[in-house]
Amino acid sequence: MQKGYTLYWLLPALIVAIIYPILTDNVMLRETIFLILLSITLSVSLNIIMGYTGYVSFGHIVYYGIGAYTSFYLMYAYKLNLVVSILIGGVFASLVAFILGQAVLSLRGAIFAIATIGINEAVKSLISNIPFLGSAMGLYFDFSIYENYGGAIKAIWLSYYLMGILTVFSVVSAYCIKKSKFGLGLFSIREDQDASSVLGIKTKLYKSIAYAISAFFPAIAGGIFAFKSGNIEPSGAFNLVKSIEMIVMVMLGGYGSIAGSALGALIYEKINGVLVVLPYVKDLHLAVSGLILLIIVQFAPGGIVGLLTKYFKNLRKVLE
Amino acid sequence: MKKLFVFLMVIVFAMLTTKAFARDSILIGFTTSLTGKLNAESKAQLQGLQMWANNVNKNGGIYVKSLGKKLPVSLKYYDDESNKERVQQLYVRLINNDKVDFLISPYSSDLTATAAIIAQQYGKIIISTGAAADDIFAKGFSVVYQMYTPASRYLTGALDMLKKHDPKAKKVAIIYEQSEFAKAVCDAAKAYAQKNGFNVVMFEAYTPNTTDFSAFLNKMSSSKPDALIGGGHFADGETLAKQVYEQKIPLKLISLIVAPAVPKFKEIGEAALYVTAPSQWEPEVSYSQENAKKLKLSYYGPSVKWFTDTYINTYHQEPGYHAAGGFASALVIQKAIEETGTLDSNKIKQALDRMNIVTFYGQIKFAQGKYHGLQIGHEMVYLQWLKSDNKLVKEIVWPTLAANAKLVFPYSTKFKK
Repeated sequence: MQKGYTLYWLLPALIVAIIYPILTDNVMLRETIFLILLSITLSVSLNIIMGYTGYVSFGHIVYYGIGAYTSFYLMYAYKLNLVVSILIGGVFASLVAFILGQAVLSLRGAIFAIATIGINEAVKSLISNIPFLGSAMGLYFDFSIYENYGGAIKAIWLSYYLMGILTVFSVVSAYCIKKSKFGLGLFSIREDQDASSVLGIKTKLYKSIAYAISAFFPAIAGGIFAFKSGNIEPSGAFNLVKSIEMIVMVMLGGYGSIAGSALGALIYEKINGVLVVLPYVKDLHLAVSGLILLIIVQFAPGGIVGLLTKYFKNLRKVLE
Repeated sequence: MKKLFVFLMVIVFAMLTTKAFARDSILIGFTTSLTGKLNAESKAQLQGLQMWANNVNKNGGIYVKSLGKKLPVSLKYYDDESNKERVQQLYVRLINNDKVDFLISPYSSDLTATAAIIAQQYGKIIISTGAAADDIFAKGFSVVYQMYTPASRYLTGALDMLKKHDPKAKKVAIIYEQSEFAKAVCDAAKAYAQKNGFNVVMFEAYTPNTTDFSAFLNKMSSSKPDALIGGGHFADGETLAKQVYEQKIPLKLISLIVAPAVPKFKEIGEAALYVTAPSQWEPEVSYSQENAKKLKLSYYGPSVKWFTDTYINTYHQEPGYHAAGGFASALVIQKAIEETGTLDSNKIKQALDRMNIVTFYGQIKFAQGKYHGLQIGHEMVYLQWLKSDNKLVKEIVWPTLAANAKLVFPYSTKFKK
């Protein structure tokens, strides 16, 4: 696959955005950028399975939840270090995704989408019944846990740094996968699974690995967010609405494109973030953001990247 | 041009300085779920808060002694979309950008716990108005204060009521919906029952949307319990009460969460009769100056009648406990400001720590020490469906401070008619 320039502008832009609140010590900006980074991570990682292989995972938030629960519990019960806990959470969610992938990735289209919703709901229900995970009421951190990280203020900054690193890492990983032979295999599965199988691509293995990788980043993001928020419960950790938002972000930016997923997440989060504090649309902000999305999708079915490359052919290399 | 520029600069500077130095209102900040799954409860809570602000401002504001004048109040709120991610962002905004004086929590325990982290981080007092979880208050927060009776005491009153009316009653059956809240409530009720010498003869969960309880009721009947407690949401609670009635199970007491507190419950007719339910607050409660006197406590704020009538006049519907909780949470801030005469967070905190008052919403007192901020004054009120003029009406029967009718005991009396 042709080498593009996405990373040459996307990475510096990301790094500047991440560093800016740190240099200016602007907490409000930190919160906003934290949410944008979280959305970019979710969108870019969903794109690995959805954009590269064409499998629309409707319940992808399940891995966010699994990662969040695993790391939260390790910190809560065993006082394990944050970084170690979230890494274990990430690896565990990937493992679960790999195993579940064996079962669900043989399904296609709508059936696969429905199966992924089923997995999310089943895991949510399972966790709601496990007493040591706090059942349906979830678990709450002792506020003093933040003392181990230099106090709550520093701990929240720490979660911001970690989210920044994760986002950069997820973007670079998604790029490397896309440009690798493995990525080429995934794209061939997306275009024609049967044909690629005939050509000798181990489609099942490829899909399973892609699914496991796409589960890793949301799981870590979930761990970081649960640490920052100080509590966790099934309805928030496995919130199906978030899954749908992830799909919207990918579609909005451009299916299959890293720059597209990142831009889609940025725009979606920004629209929501701005509207939510605008006093004029206080009760209507969701309707307004829905309308904006509708207009974008209506006039640019290939997402923003699709629209841009349609009119500006030269941008193709920049956005690939 | 240069003159105009200087003139404009002066105006801008003047505006900025006035804003910085002259305090013109008391700003209360919070997020509310205008959208998302918690929308209905949040709306009622918001209406309660807005009614409080309108009432305060109609009377010229709150008198702040240290400033020597009355200050009006204003509410600054954003939609949190029932979403935890949004909550932290918005509470940081309320504290840093909007510079609110005091915070009120969003609705629900998990959103509150998330907001509490931010409030604690900045040392801003936050009144948790719609959160019943106990756990938040065992986690070392020093600026979070709870208005609701915690989940652990939702159904314990039913057991106290049973003990008071029949000290010999020992067997209790607990049947509850497998949902977040019902499970927390019933786990706590089970522990309380065992601690108080009751024998929990059945403790079983049913899946949400269960429409046939016969298997549960058959099993329960064989163990001959004195009381049935539990429930979950409206539809299942209503069905459960109906099937207990149809099978004529000779219970002494039946107390279910949620369903019997909904006015629509009376549609099941005779089956609703004598069923009891806990509620944070009901328009029928009788908290008053006189009742407060009996407890040697001071009464603060409007009467129950004033609150109920004004709410009905304003919003054309009867207020529920979400609305009452919203109003009352702002009322405690008002009381603390009036008492200390300042807006200083530390002094307000001290006032909240020693607060022990009765309001239209009930008694309010916060725990100190390990469970700092946990609500220990407010009791769940128990309503019972009774007959008046051949019509089903709900009356408050427990605790005595709030009661306006006597509990009809045992429940099975109705089968003997």
